[in-house]
Amino acid sequence: MTQTNDNLLSIKNLSTHFYTEQGLVKAVQDVSFDIPKGKTLAVVGESGCGKSVTALSVMRLIPWPPGKIVDGEILFDGESLREVSEDRMRQIRGNDIAMIFQEPMTSLNPVFTVGNQIIEVVKLHQKKSGHEALGIAVDMMRKVGIADPERRVGEYPHQMSGGMRQRVMIAMALCCGPELLIADEPTTALDVTIQAQILELLRTLQRQEGMSIMMITHDLGVVAENADEVVVMYASRVVEKASAEELFDKPLHPYTRGLLKSLPKLGERKERLDVIGGSVPNPLHFPDGCKFHPRCPLGCNDSRCRSQEPPLKQVAAGRSVACWHAEGYDDKSE
Amino acid sequence: MTDLTTTTENSKPVKGRSLWADGLRRLRKRKFAMVCFFIVLVYFILAGLIYLNEAFEWKISLFDWRQSVGPSYQKPWLDYEWTPEGQDVPEKGWTFFGTDFLGQSTFRKMVYGAKTSITVALCASFISLLIGVPLGAIAGYYRGWVDDVIVWFYTTLSTIPYILLVMAFAVVLRERTIFGLEIKGITAVYLAIGLTSWVGICRLIRGEIIKRKESEYVLAARAIGCSSGRIIFIHLLPNVFHVIIINFSLRFVSFIHAEVILSFLGLGEADKPSWGAMIDAARTELARNVWWEMAAATVAIFFISLALNIFGDALRDCLDPKLRTD
Repeated sequence: MTQTNDNLLSIKNLSTHFYTEQGLVKAVQDVSFDIPKGKTLAVVGESGCGKSVTALSVMRLIPWPPGKIVDGEILFDGESLREVSEDRMRQIRGNDIAMIFQEPMTSLNPVFTVGNQIIEVVKLHQKKSGHEALGIAVDMMRKVGIADPERRVGEYPHQMSGGMRQRVMIAMALCCGPELLIADEPTTALDVTIQAQILELLRTLQRQEGMSIMMITHDLGVVAENADEVVVMYASRVVEKASAEELFDKPLHPYTRGLLKSLPKLGERKERLDVIGGSVPNPLHFPDGCKFHPRCPLGCNDSRCRSQEPPLKQVAAGRSVACWHAEGYDDKSE
Repeated sequence: MTDLTTTTENSKPVKGRSLWADGLRRLRKRKFAMVCFFIVLVYFILAGLIYLNEAFEWKISLFDWRQSVGPSYQKPWLDYEWTPEGQDVPEKGWTFFGTDFLGQSTFRKMVYGAKTSITVALCASFISLLIGVPLGAIAGYYRGWVDDVIVWFYTTLSTIPYILLVMAFAVVLRERTIFGLEIKGITAVYLAIGLTSWVGICRLIRGEIIKRKESEYVLAARAIGCSSGRIIFIHLLPNVFHVIIINFSLRFVSFIHAEVILSFLGLGEADKPSWGAMIDAARTELARNVWWEMAAATVAIFFISLALNIFGDALRDCLDPKLRTD
């Protein structure tokens, strides 16, 4: 990716820490990436690698205590989100940056009708009468593919299926025409056919509205289908950045390679899928050096892997990686 | 396809069934709870009618407890003859629950007691909800030092024995003028009860809010740009409203009892009948074998307590999602 000024969101050296009773948890460390206008960026990684915390940091929704953004810069459309007032932030949330969540079953308030919940977003950010807001809600519900929205607008969340609720969440997120949509594992809780529908819906809506999407997922299938750019995170750091095509074509980091290898392939018969040995390190006690070295298939004969953490470095146009052994990773220049 | 299009054309926004409507529908199926509900309703209607009777001077004789209807301490359920004051000819009479020392009907006093009790319990409930619910919600949502202060405040308050506290408030508040408002009789009673009994509901709401504030819909509400106040009062409180309602119905009984106790101790309303005052009067009457005033007050308290308790439990079964069986 070329360095132009058409980035909607750019995150620079973001670090978010949690001060828990057990100790300091560095949930996000030194994370930097940009989301270009109108594109989809996928953040991939295992549970607990800091994907969601990154997203919540952008929204400034990290609960304090115990969490806090300790360093870095978040630029949204030229505005530094770390510095704006809480009032301004409230205007941005829902209006400029919207978010959808993993669990459609629990992210809608059970005591209000879905229509009222969409209307609330509209009324919070736009000066509209109740009648106009209802019209917008019905239109939005039709847009996200809910049949018979005039009738379903009066229904409560428990009367809807998971896929329908996720559509309602998307309608809520998009009813103010946000420029950035953060989708935190939007399809994880849904079954496969519904997943495909929701992803297709997001693609269509993105084409229509021209918004950017930050898609958080651990599902590489989702990445392949929807993403333009990919950020791979491991143990609270970015380990690889690339365009989706290049990443699938030629992964540079051993962790990314492991992830891709663990996917089932069509036409291949196997009893067990490949796995990455070991397990995710405890965020309270990250290993020294490269955090991936205890699990690294490269063997780690190198003492540098065990003692020094490789910084994220650009290795080609639009490609960055953090591995001492990656191709083209120039270890002499810092 | 034609089916689909026709439904779309004919469809109007249909009200979905809320958790509330669902709970009330279940409640309606419980016969015994509904009977109890109607018993409670009768008390409320009586209280309301007494207010209307006083306001519009309807002069309904049932509510005219001041009038003497027979000789002093006339036994209940018996025909009698008596000569009212200022009259020469004796009259025939009959009362359901006998008369007291002044010849006033015990039954009418019992009916009038419903007004006193309901007023006190209602006002005290509202005062305690008005204090307890916002405090509990704020403590539970913000935690930190706000929570510490509120918890400290109510734990301190709850270490003082309840009756002692209510009595102290009642004594301090009566015959006083606060903010140009003259506090006397019944007002002092419900103020005293209301101001001392919000601790339970406060604690309960605080716990419920703590439990729910981490839920995803709260995060979702913050993500659409809601302020903290909006999240507490628009998003969270409706979710714990069933707790408030259930607590209200069960607490109501204890407020009626508190009023009785205060009146019994002589801190209640002095110049109008109440069940507590009737029991207080019965202390001396029992020595003369006059049992009916005590009985009348007890029966009145018994039925409303029983009905409210059963109804409150049924309400809890129907509205609390965790206790749902059907």
